[in-house]
Amino acid sequence: MSSSERGLAGIETHMLAAPEIDRPGHDPSGKPVPTSELALRFSGVGHRYGSRVALDHLDIAVPRGETVALLGPNGAGKSTAIALLLGLRKPHAGKVEVLGTTPRRAVAQGRVGAMLQTGSGSGLPPGVRVEAVLRLVQRLYRHPAPFDATVERAGIGEFLGRQTQRLSGGQAQRVRFAIAIAGDPELVFLDEPTAAMDVSGRRAFWRMIRTYGEEGRTIVFATHHLEEADQNAGRVVVVNHGRVVADGPGATLKAAVVARRVRFVCKRPDRELLDSLEGVTDVRVNGTGVVIDSLDADATVQALVQRRVGFKDLEVTGAGLEDAFIALTGAEPNHLAEDR
Amino acid sequence: MIPLLAFTRFEVGRLLRSWKFLVVTVGFPVVFYMLFLGDRSPNKVVDGVLPWRSYLLVSMCSFGALVASLTAGGARLSAERASGWSRQLRVTPIASWSYVVTKVAATMLVVLPVLVLVEAVGVGFGGVHLGAGMWFELSGLLWLSSLPFAFLGVFIGLLVHAETAFPVVTALMFALGYFGGLFVPVASMPHALQVVAHLLPSFHNTALGISLLAGRPPAISHSLVLLGYGAALALLLLIVHRREESRALG
Repeated sequence: MSSSERGLAGIETHMLAAPEIDRPGHDPSGKPVPTSELALRFSGVGHRYGSRVALDHLDIAVPRGETVALLGPNGAGKSTAIALLLGLRKPHAGKVEVLGTTPRRAVAQGRVGAMLQTGSGSGLPPGVRVEAVLRLVQRLYRHPAPFDATVERAGIGEFLGRQTQRLSGGQAQRVRFAIAIAGDPELVFLDEPTAAMDVSGRRAFWRMIRTYGEEGRTIVFATHHLEEADQNAGRVVVVNHGRVVADGPGATLKAAVVARRVRFVCKRPDRELLDSLEGVTDVRVNGTGVVIDSLDADATVQALVQRRVGFKDLEVTGAGLEDAFIALTGAEPNHLAEDR
Repeated sequence: MIPLLAFTRFEVGRLLRSWKFLVVTVGFPVVFYMLFLGDRSPNKVVDGVLPWRSYLLVSMCSFGALVASLTAGGARLSAERASGWSRQLRVTPIASWSYVVTKVAATMLVVLPVLVLVEAVGVGFGGVHLGAGMWFELSGLLWLSSLPFAFLGVFIGLLVHAETAFPVVTALMFALGYFGGLFVPVASMPHALQVVAHLLPSFHNTALGISLLAGRPPAISHSLVLLGYGAALALLLLIVHRREESRALG
């Protein structure tokens, strides 16, 4: 796996090449998947913004019916990958296929739904009721899902009559999920879907997504939270510097991926700021104590200094065998896993 | 076709349900009509063609169409782009050009009731009396000739950032209104400003309506200038739309 050697500093190559971790284009049992059963495929895809390389020979194949997480730190290329899958951008090298055709055609046929990142915006048009937006989106598809079923799935019945600009962040997120599934798509993309949601909102949101995936749809979501990927996807594809650095079932990867753990004490930890630092895959705050999992501890510590995070008692440790064991057995203390 | 119609209906509904939009687009021309009507005697013939009350009414109808167009596109549209909604639409099956087409169509559809409301004030408050056929012709003419305004509103919405769109729209609204001779008859402007007026679509839009009411054949230049503006703005729209598409990731 020569492509794995560069991307992840600090991880032994043999860990990535463990038998459980599979090569792109094959299912975990190792046998090749026929093209017609693939929901999507990247074949040697490259993309850049000016001189900055966003994707570098990306190879991913996802069979229909899987729920897959694209895991990686900010700027790893996850959003670019999703933009390519939706035909919002064209690859500079290689080929992207969605549901056996081109991304644009799959979108035009109404077979794809998506929740995109919206930055500070709600992603919804202001000055109109939720119901009107959802009915409009439905009419844009030739074979939409029944209105009531969509409302039920997304759990938005209570605020159908509300104006979109009066929704809370979590409610808007649910409405955007309803929009993503309104056309009864075969394949759904979710780009960092729980950004700006609180802990209980996140939990409820993922419960909803898991239920939807269990109905046989293919779901691909991007996240930079290790836990989120691990808990909600059967398969985790780790992307860093625009390449696939690991690909396999969540628990296995978790052991390999937590390269370094950065611990320090900080008077007023700003979780959102910490979360956005380079390399960070997870942040846990307990009072003034902070524990960060990072794919690139050097960069994370540099970023801590640059962003003037007033830290002391800094400690960088390798996530060793013990962590791997804890991750594999799921024996991680609950207050750590849930205090996010 | 059905998605496009559904989308247009959605947009028109949003505009007509926004009291801010209605207050601004109907309020400005109506209040200005009432204010400016006292500038001179309502029966005084202006520019040698029409009594002031009718002359001003045509001007305020044009102004209403202008304000409605710039408000319907403009800041509303750029706020919508910033919110991520226009990008969300791009991952639905409708073609990306339908967004622009729908915005222009919705703008044109809301200009029509604005014209009728301003005309009603002309009848009730200004005492302007025309035959039903003439009202119909006047509305139709002013409506069609405000297509360049609709293009302009959508163009600004696609071009300008959400924070700057509002001042840009306000400045354009009053510049096109004042320099186009909608507030003060062009004939009573200094010569230099008259030259400027003849370069603006707002002047030619009003001039078409005034010619119609005065019962004289309109100068061909009015239609030509409006067509020129329409074509140029349509081209600019196409260009910003392309740019928007290539920037899809934001």
